Amino acid sequence: MLKRKIARHPVFRISCQHASRLLSQREEAPLPFAPRLRLWVHLCVCDACTNVSRQFQTLRLAMQRWRERD
Amino acid sequence: MADQARTTDQTRTPDQTPGATLEFVHLAEHRVYLLRIARLELRDEHLAEDCVSDALTQAYEKRASFRGASSLKTWLTSILKNRIVDLLRKQWREQPLEPEPSGEQDFDKLFDETGHYIQMPSAVSDPADLCQQDGFLAAVQQCVDKLPKRIGQVFVLREVFGSDTGELCKDLGITTSNVWVQLYRARMMLRTCLEKGGFGRA
Repeated sequence: MLKRKIARHPVFRISCQHASRLLSQREEAPLPFAPRLRLWVHLCVCDACTNVSRQFQTLRLAMQRWRERD
Repeated sequence: MADQARTTDQTRTPDQTPGATLEFVHLAEHRVYLLRIARLELRDEHLAEDCVSDALTQAYEKRASFRGASSLKTWLTSILKNRIVDLLRKQWREQPLEPEPSGEQDFDKLFDETGHYIQMPSAVSDPADLCQQDGFLAAVQQCVDKLPKRIGQVFVLREVFGSDTGELCKDLGITTSNVWVQLYRARMMLRTCLEKGGFGRA
């Protein structure tokens, strides 16, 4: 598949470890163009990091709900 | 009455701000909430009580400066945050950095030699629904309480008190990359902690 081919290309290839750091950083500030593109390509082909991305978003929402709960 | 309605913020004397009519009981209504977030941040019942009492006293003293632009709760939270940040700065200065378990090395175990997850992280099908569940929120709180102290403090300032990177750097005297590393560690530790319960599925 083309997506997988792109994701494996040295220009785009990042590890899940690296992607996870970017996922956390993304919660703090917009990523610069190159890392944003690499992360996007990685997420297209990686279910694990897609799940981590949802988990990080869930954490943020959970803390918000925890704070609002009376 | 019509005259009063026409008065703008600029022409009001300090006595006429929305805050001027506040009584201490109005502020104290938020005490339970303030204590809850102070406890999560400080992990010390007495310190939390002190900070909240100080914050409420201070808020009452400067009640005329409450202009009603934000909710009273938000205003009180920001006063509490300032008290807490002062305290943390002092604590951090006095106590040399605890030898924290090196986060990166711990997380290395989660990845294979090519840097990919060894175990598939759990999927969260509906974050909004999950976060409605008291059981999940309690599990999250427990995991936050288990974070190494400073990592937990940075995380709670970020996610509960709403400090952004710039504020965290300024308030805690640490660099941007340090803030991001602490928050990355917090999130990775929290997700690992929550995975023990299937991230809310169990």
